[in-house]
Amino acid sequence: MGLNENVKQSQVFNHVNDCIMNLKVKLMFLGILICSFFLQLNAQSVKLSGRVKNKLTGEALSGVTVLNTKSHKSTLTDEKGGFSIQAEKGNVLILTYVGLATLKYTVIDVAQIAEIAMEEENKKMEEVIVIGYGTQKVTKVSGAISTIKSADIEKLKPVRAEDALQGRASGVNVISSGSPGTKATVLIRGIPSYSGADPVVVVDGVTQTLDDLNSINSADIETISVLKDAATTAIYGVKGGNGVIVITTKSGRKNNKPEFNFSSSYGIQQLARQIGVLNATEYAAIVNEGSLISGGNVIYPDLSKLGVGTNWQDQIFKNAAMKSHSITARGGGEKMTYFLAAAYTGQDGIVGGGDKSYFNRYNTTTNLSFDLTDKLKLVSNTSFTNIKGGTVAENSINSVISNALNFDPTVPVYNNIPGTYGKYSVSNNILSEIYNPLTQLDDTHNQTNTNKLYGKIELQYQVVKNLKFTSRYGYTYTDVAGKSFTPLSYYGDSHINSTLNSDGSTRSGSHNSVYQNHNNYYNYTFENFINYNVKINHDHAFETVLGTSMAKVTGSSISGSRQDVPFNSWDFADISSATGIATNSGISLGEYKYERRNISFFGRINYDYKEKYLVSFTGRRDGSYAFGTKNKFGFFPSASLGWVVSSEKFYKLKVIDFLKIRGSMGTTGNENVTPQFQQITTGIYMYNVGQNSGYTFGNNPTSVGSTISTYANDALSWEKQKQLNVGFDTRFLNNKFNISFDYYERKISGLLFVPSLSLYLGTASVPSSNVGTTKTSGIDASIGFTDNINKNLKINTNLNFTTAKNLVTYTNQGIIEDGYYGIPSQSITRFQEGYAPGYFYGYKTAGLFQTQDEINKSPTQSNAKPGDIKYVDVNGDGLIDAKDRTQIGNPFPKFTMGWSLSLTYKAFDFSSFVYISVGNDIYRAYERNLAMTNKFRGVLGRWTGPGSTNDANNPRYTFVDANNNTRASDRYIEDGSFAKLKDVQLGYTVPTKLYKNKIFSKIRVYAQVKNAITLTKYSGYDPEISGGIFNTGIDRGAYPLARIYSMGLDCKF
Amino acid sequence: MKKITIIASFTIFLMGSSCNKFVDYNPHEDYQITSADYFKLPSDYQSLVIGTYSPLQWLWADPVIGDIASDNSVTGGENATDEVGLQQIDDYTIVSNNSYLTESWKDCYEGINRANYLQENKGKLNFTGKEALYGQVYFLRAYYYFELVKLFGDVPLFTDHRLTVSDSKKYQRAPKADVYKQIETDLTNAIAVLPVTNTEKGRVTKYAAQALLGKVYLYENKFDASAAMLENVISNGAFSLVPNFGDIFLQAGENGSESVFEIQYSNGSPFYDWTNPGRGQGNLGVQVCGIRNLTGSSPYASGWSTNLPTQDLAKAFTTGDKRKDVTILDIEAYKTANPGLNITYQVAPYKNTGLYNQKYLPRKGETSGQVELNYLNNNRTIRYADVLLMAAEANNRASSPNDTKALSYINKVRQRAFGDANHNLTGTGATLTQAIWAERRLELAMEGDRFFDLVRTGQAATKITGFKTGRNEVFPIPQQEIDISGLNQNPGY
Repeated sequence: MGLNENVKQSQVFNHVNDCIMNLKVKLMFLGILICSFFLQLNAQSVKLSGRVKNKLTGEALSGVTVLNTKSHKSTLTDEKGGFSIQAEKGNVLILTYVGLATLKYTVIDVAQIAEIAMEEENKKMEEVIVIGYGTQKVTKVSGAISTIKSADIEKLKPVRAEDALQGRASGVNVISSGSPGTKATVLIRGIPSYSGADPVVVVDGVTQTLDDLNSINSADIETISVLKDAATTAIYGVKGGNGVIVITTKSGRKNNKPEFNFSSSYGIQQLARQIGVLNATEYAAIVNEGSLISGGNVIYPDLSKLGVGTNWQDQIFKNAAMKSHSITARGGGEKMTYFLAAAYTGQDGIVGGGDKSYFNRYNTTTNLSFDLTDKLKLVSNTSFTNIKGGTVAENSINSVISNALNFDPTVPVYNNIPGTYGKYSVSNNILSEIYNPLTQLDDTHNQTNTNKLYGKIELQYQVVKNLKFTSRYGYTYTDVAGKSFTPLSYYGDSHINSTLNSDGSTRSGSHNSVYQNHNNYYNYTFENFINYNVKINHDHAFETVLGTSMAKVTGSSISGSRQDVPFNSWDFADISSATGIATNSGISLGEYKYERRNISFFGRINYDYKEKYLVSFTGRRDGSYAFGTKNKFGFFPSASLGWVVSSEKFYKLKVIDFLKIRGSMGTTGNENVTPQFQQITTGIYMYNVGQNSGYTFGNNPTSVGSTISTYANDALSWEKQKQLNVGFDTRFLNNKFNISFDYYERKISGLLFVPSLSLYLGTASVPSSNVGTTKTSGIDASIGFTDNINKNLKINTNLNFTTAKNLVTYTNQGIIEDGYYGIPSQSITRFQEGYAPGYFYGYKTAGLFQTQDEINKSPTQSNAKPGDIKYVDVNGDGLIDAKDRTQIGNPFPKFTMGWSLSLTYKAFDFSSFVYISVGNDIYRAYERNLAMTNKFRGVLGRWTGPGSTNDANNPRYTFVDANNNTRASDRYIEDGSFAKLKDVQLGYTVPTKLYKNKIFSKIRVYAQVKNAITLTKYSGYDPEISGGIFNTGIDRGAYPLARIYSMGLDCKF
Repeated sequence: MKKITIIASFTIFLMGSSCNKFVDYNPHEDYQITSADYFKLPSDYQSLVIGTYSPLQWLWADPVIGDIASDNSVTGGENATDEVGLQQIDDYTIVSNNSYLTESWKDCYEGINRANYLQENKGKLNFTGKEALYGQVYFLRAYYYFELVKLFGDVPLFTDHRLTVSDSKKYQRAPKADVYKQIETDLTNAIAVLPVTNTEKGRVTKYAAQALLGKVYLYENKFDASAAMLENVISNGAFSLVPNFGDIFLQAGENGSESVFEIQYSNGSPFYDWTNPGRGQGNLGVQVCGIRNLTGSSPYASGWSTNLPTQDLAKAFTTGDKRKDVTILDIEAYKTANPGLNITYQVAPYKNTGLYNQKYLPRKGETSGQVELNYLNNNRTIRYADVLLMAAEANNRASSPNDTKALSYINKVRQRAFGDANHNLTGTGATLTQAIWAERRLELAMEGDRFFDLVRTGQAATKITGFKTGRNEVFPIPQQEIDISGLNQNPGY
């Protein structure tokens, strides 16, 4: 324990040293940058002196930019708020400061010291949010949008941006993944379709995907807007069906002195809790019992010398580091602005530690804007990301966690048998599938290196006042190189997965192999649009946009593998050094490419009368490359209405400061299909399709034949989604409280589904067709409270509530099955008419058979014996068979809630965030249940005789499970509802007077715990198990989210 | 205003120009081949013909069904829910969503569609050998339709093009007689153009087509036509009985002197696809009949203890009949007789008969890759012995019976079975008919003919427990097809 502490401390210490080094280097670099921008300002004529303070707190404000609009000269206030600037009477000064409202000050008397007080921005009233192809004053919005601000994101410092949405954006359900850098399941307003539920991600106007969020540095993000209803998503047409996440990155500010932000944090991650498995003695006793009941021999004659043995979970889980550092600079001059950022995020995995699973990311961002002429502006955003990652096998039978849970507890960690191969011990009992997880970790070798360049180049031309033309080219270029090595391994003499013999020699026919791949992606969006905003007769305000968009997505990959890497070593693992030859199947090659193209025309009119009556129309005509020749284009319209009741003259309620009622309707789409055509394939096999075309003639080698492998469907079209949204926004009690509430209904028609075609068409792949319908409805709501209770104490708290009820309403009886898991081999989730998408499918249990008599009186269940599970005869035909399988659970929550609280007391700040998910079921699929694999503690409460227990979770224990007690049933379903203290943080902002050093304007230190506490009945590691529509909630030994203790430093200078 | 005009025209230019083309798709962009690229070289045709043979291999379960549905064998397996489709057929509790029958239905129609695709595009290119190549296509289409008509009776019939998505639900069941007529036409056309031999073993020959047509005539009770057709195969002397009966079923015996038509399987291209386990190059019918957990140094490999011969079949063989030990392996007797092999095995857990299908038992070294899926054993679909027995029956049941000829053919088969002429038959008329039928059971046991013979000869109800006349002569049309295409179900299902 003491040793561990020391190690931790020295790690922290070393790390702090690193930080300081980093800081020095970066400061120097940035210093040079700044100098080049700001060597200006000379004095002349009369000097005006002044002092600036915060109106609310009375504090002097240092670093306020003061600009004389006449002379275009500017200066900054000193630490006492003082400034002096050349000015004359009648000049207008503009004062800007982050977080405070920009102030215009007209010089009255240059001789007098100007006392100027700046106010905090009235955010609620003036806030502008980013929507598609423009921005809108938040009070004028009549659609449904959730917004997350940089302040929240910066505090959370998520590795992936979507984690910031969890519980903070109403209407969004995020199920996180524990594996470093892995994509979460993100559902915006439920699951409309089985072909994919990922929302579209738009970064600075450029279309990306949810997968791309692995590469955005959280410090770059200014806001994240989640567009939820048709009024806001229809402008994205055929891509808007799953909602849109609009990310805006930071940009500079004109006439602002450079502001630097440095932040650094270091944390230790650890496993929050273990799963209860048997210790060696318990295991041996139960194995003896199982063997005896099945007519076998006692396997462990002497239990006394076994002790507790090895708990393999202790061996595989490691404390792992989490680091993040970022430095940003923003500011601007008269004609240009800049935002620059450099960041590093490193997360090691708790399974096997940072050697085996890790996610290391380096980001740089350069966002620049230039006023080329009075009317022409150039915006250039460029980000480069490098990600290095390594993974261990996870969430499957063969995962490291699965091996740790199921492996033999009676063997020691290390191999103690002289003269045999291997560092770690082997089991002589377990001879297939499960093996020593440490050997597995030792033999895990892989890495990926991702380079990604993304950004945009945009020209804005102010044609006349209020009319702006924008031309934007956005791009994402990604290059991924990966390599993995599968060495020859020794898991025991009789283990079928061993490829080495006990003396270290290679088993005949076995080879090691190295696999390398290189993937390239290039996406661009080229958009041209006109924004025209006009007011007629002062009260009629129009904001319009009209434009076109061309988008292309391309991907290609080439991969190869080769056997026989020299010395069975990762050091030599490369195709160039391996020696396998093609004629012995020692070399193989793979390739794929894909492309998508869209062309679109869009327009929107937002109208308001005195900001009281709001009307909006949106339309987008979209053409997609994927659709059939008869249906290339689709039109997606939407309309919304809003009424700001509180602006009416008759409105007298003093308590409620603001009330807006909104409603919208419209259509969006989904194009999750690939182009379809009648394809001829030549080959022997088409795997997983069965449309093989080889044959054998006599002793000749197999003949390669051809056949039609897929049908064409010229009528293929998009999924059409109609969404209705009604809601209101209100603020009351002096704007201290705010409530936002939405009810929505989404109906999909033309659901892309596998149609039921006549069987006599043969076995060629059936193309997706527009077959089914689904319906989703729910509520998004949030309530917030903000108050400055007194000069020292501020409070801000927010509660979000999200529900989504999904139902597949029609699918021609077709069923999509997925969620395959190997124990036993079958699919566990279904997409089926009359049920929620991705529901769990299996047998229902009704306790245990206590006596033979009870078995005789029950519906026929072949091979059942007393102590076996009694299954429910769902269809009532007196026979328990496959037709009795039914819905046994739903992995998606009935509702989720997020509660955030932040308190500021003097220099201290506290924040906490709780996330609650209710009604999400989990299928426990990590229990391997082979005769000799380790068991879980539940088995200690097994049925041992009539009346001992009637709990279907604990049937009798036997090696020969003739009743198939391990079949997919509600025995393995658990309620995964949970409440998690996701984030708790305590910060201290060092008062400026405490440090003499004038460099810094703010220093904050904090301590943070993520995933601090989880309250759940679930018996596994973690009830958050991500995996899209079909694999969410199936715990095959999923990578648990780590608890992270971290410390950090934020400073501004 | 000038600037507005410029920008507006720029925008309109962007919108109008090439926008529709931008979202067009040509499969060549992805290097994909479509029918537009095909039928330009003879090799395109040849390659598609190979693809038309492919579904023959997927029909591995048809012969298994032919014995399990009869008095020859039981399903066995691990328990009552193992191989439910086969258990239903065994127990005569057949329901219309039987997975095995659905699979056969789909596979036959895939074969037919592949043949029809060649038919559809026949006129696109002329080349040497095209007609003979199409002889194979017609044979294969006839074979697939014959499988369908044997299993299901009336079935949808189409011959002119490969069906597309828009043809779904268009077809109803055609009368059995029409289907037989099409089979006869196809085989007659095939016979006209096929060669008598091929350099590649396993390619369809004229004799194969004649033998199949003879068999088809027998199923239609056209005995005169059948006798005449089968005579073509016999009189040419192209085939001879393999002297040692057991040799036929060894790897070395594949495509031997007795082989008229064999469905070829191979372990040369190992298959791994458990999603579609029966659609590879290996014979899954071999794996299913293996002995469970077999160890020791016997030549046999282990399997799933399915399709177990009945004691009834074992007792049908008379003393001295060498075919018995080739057809049936009594594992316990074999173990006792060969202690040196150190055999251990798991007694078949369900419906154990103690007997195994020796003709197709999995053997060591005859598979590869995913071992269960890649057994190389060909199905001996039409053997010369079968041709002789069919010819004997046709001559015996012809409008002017020729029992002398019938006896000479059946006795050729019996002489090989007993190794002498002492067991030759002498009866005539109905007695001989019965004797020929009994001989067919013994000679062709576990080769998939028994059930269809019993139905064809009207003996099924007396020989098979659970068989109901007027119902079980055919199997139910797959329920999925009924639901989707609105076909009528066979009576009684």
